[in-house]
Amino acid sequence: MNKNVLEIIDALTAHQDTDSIRVLEEIGTNSPDNEVREYTSRALVRKNVHDSLKVVIINQGKGINDLSPAVAMSTINEILALKDKSEVVRILDDTINLHSDESVKENARSVKSLLALS
Amino acid sequence: MAKIIKVGSQNITPNKIANPFRTSRNSTTNPFKYNNFEGNTLPFELAADVFKSSTQKTNKLRMIASSVTGSMTRMKSSITEPIVNFVKRVGGGISSAWTYAKETPISQVPGIRHMNEAVGSMNAKIVNKLSSMHEEMSSRVSSRMEAVSTSITEFGNDMRTQWNALIAKLPSRQHYTADTPVSELENAWKEIIALEGGIA
Repeated sequence: MNKNVLEIIDALTAHQDTDSIRVLEEIGTNSPDNEVREYTSRALVRKNVHDSLKVVIINQGKGINDLSPAVAMSTINEILALKDKSEVVRILDDTINLHSDESVKENARSVKSLLALS
Repeated sequence: MAKIIKVGSQNITPNKIANPFRTSRNSTTNPFKYNNFEGNTLPFELAADVFKSSTQKTNKLRMIASSVTGSMTRMKSSITEPIVNFVKRVGGGISSAWTYAKETPISQVPGIRHMNEAVGSMNAKIVNKLSSMHEEMSSRVSSRMEAVSTSITEFGNDMRTQWNALIAKLPSRQHYTADTPVSELENAWKEIIALEGGIA
């Protein structure tokens, strides 16, 4: 992966501007490169805010719902590695209860089970 | 067998019959020795054996030698004087030729002069031909070189333009931090994606 891209993603991760989440979602999670999608999803998890966690949990084909197992498992591992899991648990509960897509609900349920076991 | 040997021995035995055509060259008697030929004497010694080959050869050689000597004596008198005159003429001619050679430049000798003129005209023709060929080749080569130079110049200009455009497209290597505006980070990321064909 391009070093400049890594540096840009790291900069957006550390950025306080909420617009950085939009850039990560629009460019990073839609990248055809699995490495870019994986690194972007982990960056969104590390931000640990509602808007960034929502991108990787409730969106079909992104984060834990990515078609690439490597991207999905890497995102789940990053969620499990969070120190403050309160916001992610809240989003997972809302997804399990309110999301219309059953596969997204199932993935959220699996991640919540892993969080309970961790 | 013995009969055959006897017959063979009879054949080998010399013939005792006298040969009527046989000449006796070894005879010491000369049948013409005491004959008078009434003044028409032979030029040979009468006592000599005319049938003896060795004596005959000697006498012929002597005769030929004497005739040759006489001829040479007569030739000497007839040839010597013209030769002397010839040598005198040649000597005078050589002397005059030497004087001519000393006083005449080599280029003015008629043969040499004509040859020089011929070579000079030939050289002029060759030089003219070579100069015309050289001019033609020079014009052709110069036209080709001008065309090549123009093509190379155009190619170099195109390369420089494309290279400058490529360099301008490359994002300057800078460190992106959290202090960098989001819009700038977004634009930089999009430029990288465009450069890498939409992969990044």
